[in-house]
Amino acid sequence: MSGDKEHAIVVENLTKDYGDIRAVDDVSFTVKRGEVFAFLGPNGAGKTTTVEIIETIRAPTSGRVSVLGLDVATSRGAIIPRIGVLPQGFNSFDRITVAESIRFYSRLFGGSAADVDGLMDLTELREKRDVQFKNLSGGLKQRLGIAIALVNDPEVVFLDEPTTGLDPHARRAVWSVLQGLKSKGKTVFLTTHYMEEAELLADTVAIISSGRIVATGSPARLTEMHTEQLRVTLSPGDAASIDLIQRMGFNPARTIDDGVDIPVRTSDDVLGILAAIREAGLPAPSGLEVRRPTLEEVFLKLTSEPPAERSRRSAP
Amino acid sequence: MSPRVVAATLVVRIRSLYRERSALFFTFAFPIILVLVFGAIFTRPERLNFELPVQDHSRSEASARLLEGFTADHVFTILPVPLDVDPALYAREHKLTLLLVIPSEFQSWHDLRAVERDAAAGAPLTYVHDPSSTSVDTKIQLLNSIVAAANQRYSGATAFITLVPQSILSGTYRFIEFFVPGIIAMAIMTSALSNALNSNAELRQKGILRKLAATPITRADWLVSSILYQLMLAVVSTGAILLTSYLVFDVRLHIDMWLPLIVAVEVFAFVGIGMTLTPLAKEAESASAVSNAVLFPMMFLSGTFFPVEMMPGFLQTVARFLPLYYVNEALRAAMIFADSASALRWSSILAAFAAAAFVAGTIRTRWGE
Repeated sequence: MSGDKEHAIVVENLTKDYGDIRAVDDVSFTVKRGEVFAFLGPNGAGKTTTVEIIETIRAPTSGRVSVLGLDVATSRGAIIPRIGVLPQGFNSFDRITVAESIRFYSRLFGGSAADVDGLMDLTELREKRDVQFKNLSGGLKQRLGIAIALVNDPEVVFLDEPTTGLDPHARRAVWSVLQGLKSKGKTVFLTTHYMEEAELLADTVAIISSGRIVATGSPARLTEMHTEQLRVTLSPGDAASIDLIQRMGFNPARTIDDGVDIPVRTSDDVLGILAAIREAGLPAPSGLEVRRPTLEEVFLKLTSEPPAERSRRSAP
Repeated sequence: MSPRVVAATLVVRIRSLYRERSALFFTFAFPIILVLVFGAIFTRPERLNFELPVQDHSRSEASARLLEGFTADHVFTILPVPLDVDPALYAREHKLTLLLVIPSEFQSWHDLRAVERDAAAGAPLTYVHDPSSTSVDTKIQLLNSIVAAANQRYSGATAFITLVPQSILSGTYRFIEFFVPGIIAMAIMTSALSNALNSNAELRQKGILRKLAATPITRADWLVSSILYQLMLAVVSTGAILLTSYLVFDVRLHIDMWLPLIVAVEVFAFVGIGMTLTPLAKEAESASAVSNAVLFPMMFLSGTFFPVEMMPGFLQTVARFLPLYYVNEALRAAMIFADSASALRWSSILAAFAAAAFVAGTIRTRWGE
């Protein structure tokens, strides 16, 4: 089916049941070689189950999954050496140091030549090489996990929630490591529930909710597709202007800092509003902001809709 | 002090205790198990009618009269012992704590003393006893008092019959000699089982097993490494126990090829049992509950701290289903009695346990899921 050069991962009609509970429901998507693919979804949406099936750790109930052209059901032994995995909530042996951990995992892959120092440089862990795992901070643990995910120089790297629970600095440090991976041409499968992470790093985003894919595309395209509106904020927003804007047929709302927020369709609407204010001789606003809603707003919208409405929407 | 705060705190503590299985086990179940086990052992009703195995080489009128004295008040029941066996060996094999030997010359000694009035004639009778048994002292006292009564029938200043104690063992044998092999067996069991259960649950809970599942390591690699690890620990701890008991208590046990062999089979058996129980112990809490539930009864019922023969019959039957019992028996056969035949017999049974546990364990354990 999918021994193609273009795709690193092909998932077709994947379903996974745990007893009566359907964790993953007829999911299909593809990941291109060399891209960063972000798998977004709220907690419990089926992200980790899907990832673990692709990693060959879990068996699917039905459907087909191939990684690098190899079927996960039959080619586990051939897939494992070519992928790298950072599991969710990564932990290593408490009393084993950074360098020892990296060496241990590289030996599991038979890699005598694994470049322990190089991996520590890439993940900025060299100073911590002799620190035991239990004494590392959350961010350093995750970076060690990424270094370990790379010991076999994998073609596809799976990172399951690499920045969950990290402070903003630690998160940025992990992001810079991920950008390094991307520039090396690795295919990265990133699972996250942080939109800014996906917006910053991902070429393609898939949003999963309650076991079903509700949207896929580039971050920009997703925001475009799923929000019809732009948002204009004028400040200060005096009563006369608000009245005027209302009469033009818009739906302005006061913001907490005395501005006025107006949903509009196009940038022509923005120009029209500004022209009308000037013509009416009202004071020109000193602040003006026009923005497209963020991926986070798209995400919240898509993942909070009832399933029936959602499946209709995601049908095309 | 606010009663409401105290009450709220109390409720939270009781809830937490109630929901933590291993704490519950140690708080309530463990002492109850101890009461039941030790109660059953130490409240065994005293039997007045003891059995006395006798090897009567004399088979004479004199010896018959002597034996009548033993059975007179239904104190002892005489069990005849075959004449062609070594009494110490026989006692060991049949787990007898006391065995009396009447030599073939008994009738002629009797005649010397009673008929020919030779006041110097005496009859030394040997009794073979197991000094580690706690009930044997009572029996020996009874034996002595009956012999004293029999001696009264003979005139003269010196007693006619004298009792010569002979230990069931060739060398010295104290409780500590009995105890050390039991401690070796227990230490290996505890380490192998708790490693298989507790550390595996910890690795699972931390997600390390999941990470390992995404590497080329196989179940066989993992298993072989745990067995080698446990073997190393077993060698070190056995060495340390033997050295300490030698240096501090001058315990000299017989050490030959059986010791490493039995230790290795024990490691296999308990790693296998641990594997079989792993699916019951997915979290650290349930792991310690499961391992305690297996370890403690095994420790007390398999003759680690006192001979199984001290326990009431039904508990002795239970002991025969516990693998640790066979480790104890095999180690004692090899290290105390230097008895290769018994060591072979017990360790073969242990090996069967190990094989069964391994088959069951291999079927039950799976990576990842």
